[in-house]
Amino acid sequence: MSIRVESIRKRFGGFTALDDINLDISDGGLVGLLGPSGSGKTTLLRIIAGLEQPDRGRVFFNDRDVTTLDARRRRVGFVFQQYALFRHLTVADNVAFGLRMLPRGERPGRDAIRARVRELLELVQMDTMSGRYPAQLSGGQKQRVALARALALKPEVLLLDEPFGALDAKVRKELRRWLRHLHEQIDVTSLFVTHDQEEAMEVSDRVVVMSQGHIEQVGTPLQVYEQPASRFVFDFLGHINALEGRYDGHQWRDGDAYLRLDTRGACPNGDLTLYLRPHEAELARQPSDSASLPVRVAGRSVFGGTVTVELEPRGWGQGILEVEVDREAWRDLDPQRDEPLFLLPRDLQTVTCDGDLGPRVRPA
Amino acid sequence: MPRHWHQWALILAAFGAVAVLLVLPLVLIFSQAFSQGATVVAENLTSTDMISAIKLTLIVALVTVPVNLVFGVLLAWCVTRYEFRGRKLLTTLIDIPFAMSPVVAGLCYLVVYGGQSVVGQWLDDTLGLQLMFALPGMIMVTVFVTCPYVARVLIPLMQSQGTEEEEAAILLGASGWQAFWYVTLPKIRWALLYGVVLTNARAVGEFGAVSVVSGLIRGETLTLPLLIQMLNEDYNTVGAFTAAGLLAALALITLLLKTVLEWRQRHKIDAAQEVTP
Ligand SMILES: Nc1ncnc2c1ncn2[C@@H]1O[C@H](COP(=O)(O)OP(=O)(O)O)[C@@H](O)[C@H]1O
Ligand SMILES: [Mg+2]
Repeated sequence: MSIRVESIRKRFGGFTALDDINLDISDGGLVGLLGPSGSGKTTLLRIIAGLEQPDRGRVFFNDRDVTTLDARRRRVGFVFQQYALFRHLTVADNVAFGLRMLPRGERPGRDAIRARVRELLELVQMDTMSGRYPAQLSGGQKQRVALARALALKPEVLLLDEPFGALDAKVRKELRRWLRHLHEQIDVTSLFVTHDQEEAMEVSDRVVVMSQGHIEQVGTPLQVYEQPASRFVFDFLGHINALEGRYDGHQWRDGDAYLRLDTRGACPNGDLTLYLRPHEAELARQPSDSASLPVRVAGRSVFGGTVTVELEPRGWGQGILEVEVDREAWRDLDPQRDEPLFLLPRDLQTVTCDGDLGPRVRPA
Repeated sequence: MPRHWHQWALILAAFGAVAVLLVLPLVLIFSQAFSQGATVVAENLTSTDMISAIKLTLIVALVTVPVNLVFGVLLAWCVTRYEFRGRKLLTTLIDIPFAMSPVVAGLCYLVVYGGQSVVGQWLDDTLGLQLMFALPGMIMVTVFVTCPYVARVLIPLMQSQGTEEEEAAILLGASGWQAFWYVTLPKIRWALLYGVVLTNARAVGEFGAVSVVSGLIRGETLTLPLLIQMLNEDYNTVGAFTAAGLLAALALITLLLKTVLEWRQRHKIDAAQEVTP
């Protein structure tokens, strides 16, 4: 079932939580709603579910206007951030709840309910714990039960609010893959909320980036990463280094550092900020013709195939810079502690005078 | 475990205080009641005044507790589930019966519903109903005096539990009533039971407000606490203490009931824990 949200606005008192939100989610999609805490993700999810009424705008499921439809009749599966399992019911009874609430005519018999619960608990690999109470489960287990409960009525729309938020890193990774897999198994349109960039990138077909009640960008993970629509999106997707200096039409300068750039009109002259992603630079003993950014190594951490190096600018800049270099390249370079090095950016993102994103440039 | 001598001393002091302040009076009540033998107690227990007082007390409690159970749940529901203007005011108003002396409450009811008042006269003329100096008035003031207990116990609990479980139930297709019955009620039942125990204890033991509106008609409008006062003034010590013993026994039984129910609930959870290691 496709979901369409049109010009939704929601205020709480004088505070605008959502401002003119438009969103289209096609049937069968797995969409990640990504944004910092307080950006209105939960509010949007609750409006789609019918738990909250928008001040303005409409919600459609498959072209059917459900804006005024009661939450209990929308038939969406919803997984709450804190799971909201019924604490007085066992795992099996939690999962059976929705089936038991069906009107007499539609309600399956006892055995049918039991069979369905078993099937669902097997799906989420919790069939051995059906007699436990929520208080006796770990976070990841509660998560799975909440999901099984939400799936009991075969919803065509599944909404998940920070489904992995409260779990530790390893369980999280596992459950992410598993959710992806589950989504492929069953016929459902899913929208999940997260504030974790990596999670959104890994799990979703499409990412919706939100900030302060606005949608900043909608796109595939690759699009959002490679062609960020705004400074916010660029900022939010992964760590970046901001290089602040002055540009005179040919050269960017900050203290002892300079870069030869053609900014193609991003900022004719004056203050110019350049964003550098950690993996879009190299280290060398000599400056290049077009770039001279003197640094010294302040620290490093080896993890996986890359080495994350902390660099302290010499004679320019303010804070520590962070770059990721290939482990091979690091071994070849083999720098001594405090040895003077040069940072060679491959790609830089300009920020225009009015604060938007300018073109991407490379030193030449 | 306490490690220092002063920690032990504190615990000992607590036990001492409980013994002197709570247990000793209880023991005294029963020993006074039985001071002239069991037969005198039995005689007092079967006297018409006593039996009428027991009946009346039970009737008052049996009406008051359900009324305030429903009222308290509704009030707690409104205050914790809805945002509306005057919500704070309402939570403050709930406490009026706590803040006000019961005697004053009784007098207020007398002024509003008594035979001299407009309301009282109208009721008497049209329905032939007399509220004051009769059972209805005694029930009314008892309901008033005990109405905050259930709500006061429920409000903080329901606030801390939040509404997510109810929302989950609604999204699973439950109606508002089903969400209340299958989700809210089980979550609050122990607090509710506690509120009922408190309400009951107060309803059974209420003296001040009831004494104002009862008119103290022997054999007709005397509840147990009023009877105790009356017997005491008549120098019938054994009678007074027998009635007091009855009240105390009632209180102990309620406490026992509550403890047993709580214990059984905990037992159920422990049992569930055992079958699933
Ligand atoms: N019921 C509410 N009353 C008042 N403010 C609210 C309410 N719900 C959310 N807000 C506010 O709206 C903003 C967005 O909240 P939310 O949707 O929960 O953000 P997110 O899920 O992205 O962290 C927050 O600033 C929050 O304080
Ligand atoms: Mg949220």
